[in-house]
Amino acid sequence: MGELIGSGIILLGSVFLFSAGLGVLRMPDAYNRIQTGTKATTLGTMLVLLGLAVLHPAWTWKLLILMFFVLLTNPVSSHALARAAHRIHTPEADETVVDQLEEEEQKAAAAAREDSA
Amino acid sequence: MIRRLLIFVTLLLTAAIFARLALNYTEHTQLSKLATHYAGQGPAELGAPNLVTAVVVTYRGLDTLGEVTVLFISAAGVGLMLRRRQQVAVEAEDKKPSSEIVVTAAQLLLPMVFLFGVYVFVNGHLSPGGGFQGGAIIAAGSLLLLLTLPGAELRQRLIAVTESLSGFGYVVIGVLGVILAGGFLDNRIMSLGTYGTLFSAGAIPIIYTLVGLKVGAELSAVLGRFRDTGEQ
Amino acid sequence: MTGLPLSLFALTTGLALILIGLFGMLTQKHIIRMIIGFSLMDTGVHLVMVAIGYVTGGTAPIINDAVPAADAVARVVDPVPSALVLTAIVIGLGVTAVMLAFAIRIYRAKKTLNIDACSESRW
Repeated sequence: MGELIGSGIILLGSVFLFSAGLGVLRMPDAYNRIQTGTKATTLGTMLVLLGLAVLHPAWTWKLLILMFFVLLTNPVSSHALARAAHRIHTPEADETVVDQLEEEEQKAAAAAREDSA
Repeated sequence: MIRRLLIFVTLLLTAAIFARLALNYTEHTQLSKLATHYAGQGPAELGAPNLVTAVVVTYRGLDTLGEVTVLFISAAGVGLMLRRRQQVAVEAEDKKPSSEIVVTAAQLLLPMVFLFGVYVFVNGHLSPGGGFQGGAIIAAGSLLLLLTLPGAELRQRLIAVTESLSGFGYVVIGVLGVILAGGFLDNRIMSLGTYGTLFSAGAIPIIYTLVGLKVGAELSAVLGRFRDTGEQ
Repeated sequence: MTGLPLSLFALTTGLALILIGLFGMLTQKHIIRMIIGFSLMDTGVHLVMVAIGYVTGGTAPIINDAVPAADAVARVVDPVPSALVLTAIVIGLGVTAVMLAFAIRIYRAKKTLNIDACSESRW
């Protein structure tokens, strides 16, 4: 019975990982791809590790540490990637309506110009 | 046109050779004679549970010395080709600082990564790992430092001194093996200790620590050299 | 599926990677792509070498509580190919670093990363 639950959780995790790959393939621009890639793969990896913890209860603490590590590093790295992509002016999709980072940077640049002027 | 045809024919012939290899492949059912000796006598002779470490450091120790030399030559080659024209000061206006999230996470992660790298090469004789793997992890840590903190400078003197002393120490231990024990790079110059503890297997932990430090310092220097070329 | 040995999959993957890397090195004009093709070939060769060392039903060559010394010979995989691949990976890294340094010098001299610009050695 425990095996069934564990395998079910791993299957659910692999469904999320597959949808991450599908998202990276189908999204219109780089920022959307980064977002789907990170969110879905983090959740998928954590679910797979959780299923493993159910299947092998002796490894629970090690797997919890692994889950914490993945949760800490995956979003931070995608944050850094997205900022870098914005910095080199990667083109955005046509449907984009709001660009908050652009507005903030323009405000900061205007404030810096006022300070030096 | 003729070029594409030649490439296609080359790939086709190579694929034919590989297909023949794959089709006539039968798995081994038992170890070869050499591997039988290593697996049977290795733990008793050398006191190291990890057989791959025993092979790399002691049974094939001379190959490892050659590999450390090749790594040193490649790092020297990179340093020669990407020589700094003059001491370039980092231009602060062009470099936007990293966002707070990235800097905080990097500060959290860097000690963990370095500690993990040291753990891997100190425990090389007990569990999977060893000097080269640990050195690569340390270099990954310094890559994290270089990428997230744009103004960070690696300490060139520290890296150069670490690298030279580790390489020198490795050869000194090898020569000590000739003087005190069976031959060059014999690990029985120190007592074999209790099987499976940290201070066992003679000189293998020391050799692997020196190799790990050397590889880590070398790769960090190469990465730092690549990073500095972007400013010229 | 059950009749095929396990290491055959690793062997064919390695050989396929070598072919893909070779194709990349032969057809691409951009120097960085050629370097990536070389790296792929390297990885393929390492996979082939490790796959050849597999013994049916064998486990990792570490002699501790899991594999006691008495039945070590009967149960472990060949440690020598793993040791050779350890060396090969590090040397592949050194060669890639030197190639990338060359690419940077070529870019500084020719202002382009297309291999067609370096025609001095062509006969």
